[in-house]
Amino acid sequence: MVEKIALIKEQVLEAIENASSLNIIAGGSKEFLGRKITGTPLEMGRYQGIINYEPSELFITVKAGTLLGEIIQVLAERGQMLAFEPPQFTEKTTVGGVVATGLSGPRRAYTGSVRDYVLGIHCINGLGQDLSFGGQVMKNVAGYDLSRVMTGSYGTLGVILDVTFKVMPIPEFELTCFCELSRKDALTKMYELSCKPFPVSASCYDGEKLYLRISGYRDTVKTILTGIGFEEYLNGDQFWRNLRDFRSSFFNTDKNIWRLSLPVTAKPEIGDDQYLIDWGGAQYWIKSDRPANEFFKMAEELGGNATLFKGTGHNENIFQPLQEDMMIIQQGLKRAFDPHSVLNPGKMYAAI
Amino acid sequence: MQFDDLTKLLPAEAILLSEESRRVYECDALSAHRVIPGCVVLPDTIKQVQDVLAYCHSNDIPVVARGAGTGLSGGAMPHAEGVLLNLAKFDQIISLDPLQKIARVQPGVRNLAISDAARPHGLYYAPDPSSQIACTIGGNVAENSGGVHCLKYGLTVHNILQIKVVTITGNLITIGSHALDSPGYDLLALFTGSEGMLGVIVEVTVKLLPIPPFNKVLLAAFDNIENAGEGVAGIIANGIIPAGLEMMDKAGIRAVEGFVHAGYPVDAEAILLCELDGTEDEVNNGLNQVKNLLSGYGATQVRIAKDEAESKLFWAGRKAAFPAVGRISPDYYCMDGTIPRKHLAKVLTGINELSIKHKLAVVNVFHAGDGNLHPLILYDVAKPGELERAERFGSEILELCIEMGGTITGEHGVGVEKIREMCIQFSEDELEQFHAVKAVFDNKGLLNPGKAVPTLNRCAEFGAMHIHKGKDKFPELERF
Ligand SMILES: Cc1cc2nc3c(=O)[nH]c(=O)nc-3n(C[C@H](O)[C@H](O)[C@H](O)COP(=O)(O)OP(=O)(O)OC[C@H]3O[C@@H](n4cnc5c(N)ncnc54)[C@H](O)[C@@H]3O)c2cc1C
Repeated sequence: MVEKIALIKEQVLEAIENASSLNIIAGGSKEFLGRKITGTPLEMGRYQGIINYEPSELFITVKAGTLLGEIIQVLAERGQMLAFEPPQFTEKTTVGGVVATGLSGPRRAYTGSVRDYVLGIHCINGLGQDLSFGGQVMKNVAGYDLSRVMTGSYGTLGVILDVTFKVMPIPEFELTCFCELSRKDALTKMYELSCKPFPVSASCYDGEKLYLRISGYRDTVKTILTGIGFEEYLNGDQFWRNLRDFRSSFFNTDKNIWRLSLPVTAKPEIGDDQYLIDWGGAQYWIKSDRPANEFFKMAEELGGNATLFKGTGHNENIFQPLQEDMMIIQQGLKRAFDPHSVLNPGKMYAAI
Repeated sequence: MQFDDLTKLLPAEAILLSEESRRVYECDALSAHRVIPGCVVLPDTIKQVQDVLAYCHSNDIPVVARGAGTGLSGGAMPHAEGVLLNLAKFDQIISLDPLQKIARVQPGVRNLAISDAARPHGLYYAPDPSSQIACTIGGNVAENSGGVHCLKYGLTVHNILQIKVVTITGNLITIGSHALDSPGYDLLALFTGSEGMLGVIVEVTVKLLPIPPFNKVLLAAFDNIENAGEGVAGIIANGIIPAGLEMMDKAGIRAVEGFVHAGYPVDAEAILLCELDGTEDEVNNGLNQVKNLLSGYGATQVRIAKDEAESKLFWAGRKAAFPAVGRISPDYYCMDGTIPRKHLAKVLTGINELSIKHKLAVVNVFHAGDGNLHPLILYDVAKPGELERAERFGSEILELCIEMGGTITGEHGVGVEKIREMCIQFSEDELEQFHAVKAVFDNKGLLNPGKAVPTLNRCAEFGAMHIHKGKDKFPELERF
């Protein structure tokens, strides 16, 4: 695969030479995310394979084009998982896409996000340089933590070649339960539970029912179910998978889908729009055709951020607009990695 | 005098100029490296920090931030012509919200003080460096500190939500938020572990966790290190993530037993301490499982603590490891490499060979769960040449860690101490990438100069004899 790396370097150098830019593409499953950009396609999809997996060292190193589904399966065979439960929009979702977008699933609020589990990244920056940051060990403070900085950067800082994740054991037992509650009571319940040493691993309120997933040792989980007075929900795995992959019927819509990431006790103005609350109250999904600025303004006032997750007719701000001084820093970082603006320019913000 | 105008920015008692008062700050816990700072300031408002930094920026004065000075890599070592910015007066917990499970604290708040304040709510702050009674949260963020519980609960970077930072130009910026993620590049991750090189942290919002209802410790003895290492791998491969998993070698066991009488078996080659937490049933079942596993890996003895008192006693030995070593040797030098655990036996054998080569004894304590080694090299600074030998020995241990696919520092940071080894771990292009990032925040290089990331010239200076991955690393630079 040395040739593939050489090829990528060449493409980057060529783009610099021609003052053009690249559009990094892997599975294409997340194409709807982020701002629309042009640029010569740089195909990562065939850069596939597991480089190193050591279950007892709790890490896996994989090439960016490897299918997420394949990794989940390989890990599961050894009783392990990616604890941030990454969305798998289609079977084409790749690891590179997971890291570039930094998106995590329902377990995130309880076990951490993509960047929390990234141990190291091997990449090509915008100068065509082959760089490695972090490594395969869990504790590593040599140099700035640039592999975490690249996570969620939408390919604008470097072409990700390989990633090392920390992996975790799959809980011995999980079950899902639910209870009909008002929004206020559901939120209160979520806060209450999260303040106790109570092994919730996902929680979602759909406007009528609060769903909880409890994970841990079988006996403990069963005892807890008896204790909290919720009813067991038999199709739990399917429920969380649909939520994770945006296949719940809620996501089947022509309206814009907004994602609000908020302090857990914030109470956004939802009005008559349909919504889902995830992450114990820290993430709201809202279906709405209200203007973008209403969401950005509301999220900012509440101390969080909004993203136009899926929608049409709008390519200005997909992500929460940044304050001027913050944007200057972000532009500085972009220049530090990609001074000629070759890598996915404009994918996140017009200016980076 | 270039510091004179500081009196216009700060009250007189917040500026230390006499040599006597400055000398107090000449080093951190890496006491072999000492420099008396040009001046020391002790601001107590964010506005004062902004003014001091803006002043230093306009006048090209270096600035070194300092928390409690417990750092072990010389990160807070002062600059002779610079300002030492002491954050000790920022010692207030601003707010604690038990519902959101967060605390907003000033940077000079001690690590343990946060957990003390959270305890009445059934909460605590998870990262627990052994220095937690003294070290500050600002220092913890700057070093991305860990602790014995970080295998399960993560490092500082996993346990904070937001920081407020004053840049070298005097701007106050907020990084992160009280939501679980923030738009744009992840500056929170960038600042965590950046060793005071990018900005001065003036506020931190930490996440709090519910206190586990129950925990208990198991002590296992082995008559060879390899078995102990395999035991650790076995526990983890079986899906158990202990709250703490520590190892100690024979020299460590003996030093500790002579000091605290924790009941460690002094004839063992290695011991493991394994703490589980959760509900009482989970812990007891889990420990029985661990006990069987470790017996299967050849443990000569496995003892599950009878009660809380015995759990505490087992831990007391581990926690007293450093002072215990301080008792048997006039000085010791604490190293901090991380390795893939499977190479443990090889690395410990290597360390013992180096010990013979350098004629200095070594004691090994080890965060076994996450592969973080702390060899303690025993020496006597009063004996000519011993400090130099200890440093050489330490450096060779770190090179061994790199060779095994590990890293030169797991939690103590690079500081001034491991500058040379950075040239071995990273390529020229990688170091240049670090410098480019640094320049975004501090293009004059005034924040903590000479620390954390070596210049290519320094690497050339060090590296005359270093050949990396079969090729000379800095062929275009002049050799000295
Ligand atoms: C006995 C002992 C045991 C230890 N055990 C552990 C352990 O288990 N795990 C571990 O990780 N570490 C451990 N340490 C190391 C040390 O305690 C940590 O690195 C700690 O985080 C340093 O905190 P401090 O407040 O003392 O920082 P200092 O030593 O004062 O400073 C450390 C670095 O942070 C920078 N800094 C400090 N405050 C700020 C700020 N507000 N803004 C920007 N930069 C700042 C300084 O410039 C310096 O580079 C131990 C040290 C000792 C002496």
